[in-house]
Order: sequence, then structure tokens, then C-alpha cells
Amino acid sequence: MSPEGTDFLYPFIEGDERDTEGLLADLARSANGKAVESRRLRDATLAACRDQIDNLAADLAERLGAGGCLFTFGNGGSSTDAATVASLFARPPYGRPLSARSLVADQAVLTALGNDVGFELVFSRQLIAHGRAGDIALGISTSGNSLNLLQGFEEAKRRGLLTAGLAGYDGGQMAASAAVDHCLVVRAESVHRIQEVQAALAFDLWVTVQHRLDPATIVTAAKP
Amino acid sequence: MRKGSDLTDVAVDLPLGALAEDLASAALAMARRFSDGATLWCIAPDWPEHAHHVAVEFVHPVIMGKRALPAVTVPDVDPVPPLRALVRSGDLLLGVGRADHAAMRESMRRAGVWGLETVWIGAGHRPAPGAADHVLWLEDEAADELATYTGRFVLLYHLLWELTHVCFEHPGLLKTVEATCTDEVCITCSDAAELGEVVTVASDGDVTVRTPEGLSLVDTTLIDAVQTGDLLLIHAGTAVERVSAGQT
Repeated sequence: MSPEGTDFLYPFIEGDERDTEGLLADLARSANGKAVESRRLRDATLAACRDQIDNLAADLAERLGAGGCLFTFGNGGSSTDAATVASLFARPPYGRPLSARSLVADQAVLTALGNDVGFELVFSRQLIAHGRAGDIALGISTSGNSLNLLQGFEEAKRRGLLTAGLAGYDGGQMAASAAVDHCLVVRAESVHRIQEVQAALAFDLWVTVQHRLDPATIVTAAKP
Repeated sequence: MRKGSDLTDVAVDLPLGALAEDLASAALAMARRFSDGATLWCIAPDWPEHAHHVAVEFVHPVIMGKRALPAVTVPDVDPVPPLRALVRSGDLLLGVGRADHAAMRESMRRAGVWGLETVWIGAGHRPAPGAADHVLWLEDEAADELATYTGRFVLLYHLLWELTHVCFEHPGLLKTVEATCTDEVCITCSDAAELGEVVTVASDGDVTVRTPEGLSLVDTTLIDAVQTGDLLLIHAGTAVERVSAGQT
């Protein structure tokens, strides 16, 4: 169990508590504490990853500007964050729309592959079908150890795609894999805080790509 | 990196402001409904990824030992028709979307008529007062267009999940007070009126409406011909006004 999960637990054996106001005050305090933690982690991670973000953004701008496609993927909550990244690149609120899509969007493809060849191959098989040299594979995982992501990176690398991963904790196997060209790690122990900061990293990446494609594009980075 | 528990010396650094209290109230309300058997319905017509993220958060907790709770994404661009068929009185609706989004507004309003407690997460201009039971809103100007992409919505629903589970450690505070019929509060004896949604209009003219209490026949002689989906203001079994027309 992660440490912040237990910070505000005051288990009562009896079920006759009455102090609703006290609980609400604890909850509000807890929310603020976690928001502070999320913001600090974001600022520290963006600072630590600055050069990596800039390098990856340069590669992305070059490939996407030349017509390459960004494929994003992940599992669970990370799959929804991967879908958000694809949507940001392809249908941005402003700036230049770029080819990007999520490999978790099609449930027929996902269940066909999961059922027929195994869930560890659901992304690599799609990359065999769609990936071309000049494209980019971006996988998101909090542990950095998801087998289907690692397999996806291996396949993408074999096919000449640029590979990039967002990971948490110490980066896991993703950070050690020779198949991952760029691995950005959110160094924290909480899945929730890692996901929040991975979203901020991906947003910063998109801002940087847009700037490289057109320096006149101005995007305000939001504060948490 | 300091931990969130080191709060005594960062008391002035409260990034959420009043939103922290709104999150606390919403979490307690959700925990109470869940402990009474509610399902959480999740919508985000413009950004369905957020609805999916909320649902997977509750169904498959990332922290070992936390309860799996029933949460379902309704990914439709107009969630009202599927929600109408799926929800039960006592359930929860959580939506992520803009205040001026017509389908969001209508989903929140109908959900109230169906007996759901509603939570609306968004950024920019706030929804009108009363548009949802719990409004969790990022109001700074930078948030308007971008909060959906920067991780700030993710932070809000993560906090909501975390706080909801803290509430489960306090079972004594999860008991809800049953409404009882007293002279002061009984809805049929007092002047109070409530909204109901027309479910059927029979060939003999009988009109059945849905309210948080369930289905009932209402007298519609005071208003024009009603249609399925109309919202009616009902007082003591009589429809006194058509508030809005049904879905077209």
C-alpha cells in the first residue's frame, strides 16, 4: 500500500461516529496536500526531463512534419491518457493538427488480438499492420514493465519507427530496453501522481513540437 | 520530493482553494451513495477518455485492498437516451465537460429528475448555480481550453477516488438519514413541487411520470397535451407546468 493512502485513515471500530465536519476538514486537507505533491512532482520532472523532452520533440516534429503518424498505447488508466495524447496531437485546440491515433480505440481489433494471439501482442500486432519507418510509437505505463508495451516497442524498433516511453517509479524494464529510444521517467511511487505528471509531460511535449513546427504558436502552459 | 503528509509547514500553499472543500463534500456524498448500492455512471461527451479513466479507477483500484466499485462509462455524444434506460434512482452521475455543453447540461438536469446525485468536473466558466449537486471546477483562465490535456482533470478525479475511499474508513458517517413524512417536510402535504419526466402517455390519456420516488400517474388537465420525455412540474399529483419539451 502506498504511503499517501494511509495518511488520513482513522479507522473507528464502532460505527457510531458523528464528526462529519472533522472528516470533511481532513479530506480537504488531504486533497490540498496531494495537489501540492502533484505540482512539485510535475515541476521537478519537467526540469529533470527538459533536455529529453526537447530532443524527443525535435524528432517528433521532424517525423510528424514529414507525414509520419504517432501511435499511442497503454493499459487501463494509461490507455485513456494515451488516447488523450493522440487526440491532442490530431485535434488540437489550436496549432497544427498532426497524424496521431490511439491503438486502444478499436475494441474489435483489441479483443480479436487478445483472444487469438494473446494480450501481450495486442500492440505489436497492430504496429506490424500499421507501422512504417517514419512513424512514432509512444507507450505509456506507470510501472514501465507492461509486457504488451515492451513487445510493442520491440516490433516498432524492428520496423524503423522512433520509439518513446513514459514510465514511472525507476522506469522499470522500459528504461533498460534497447528498443526504447526515448524514455521519460516520472520518479515517484504513487500511480496517481505518476499519471498526473505523465499527462503534463505529454502536454509539454505537444507544446514543444508545435513550437518547433511554427515558432509563432503560443501556448500557455496551465498550472495545477 | 516531499510527501503530501508534510503539511504543517506548507499550510499557506493550498493550490485547490475552495475546490478542496467541494472535493471533500463530493467524496463523502459518493461514498454514502456507493455504500447504499449506487452505480457510478461516467460521461464526457467531448472527451470520452476521461469518462473511461474515471470508470476504470473505481472498478479496478490501483491500490491493493481497496474495494472495487460499480462504475460504467456511457461514451455516447448524447448520453441522455442511454442513461434514461440504464440508471436507477439512488445512482451517481459524474460528468467531465464544459459548462456550456448542451448534452452535459441536459444529462445533469435529467439525472436529478431520475434520482441521481450529480458531480460535474470542468474548467473555465462555471455552470449555473444548481446545475449539478457537486461542481468541481478549475476557474483560472489558463484552464479553460487546456485542462483536459494537462493532467489537471486527471488530478481532480484521482483525488475524488482517493477521498471516497478514505470515507469508507468511517462507516458511521456513511449512514444516510431516511426521509420521513412529517408535517413540515412531506412533499405532498406541503407547497413543494418537483420535476417529473413523462414516461408514457396512454391512449386513454393517462400520463405516467418518473421522479426520484419512482413511477406515478399524474393529472395533466391543467396543461396542454404532453409528450414522452417532457419535464413537468408536479404538485400533489397534478402537473402544473411544462418545464421543457422532451428529447427530439
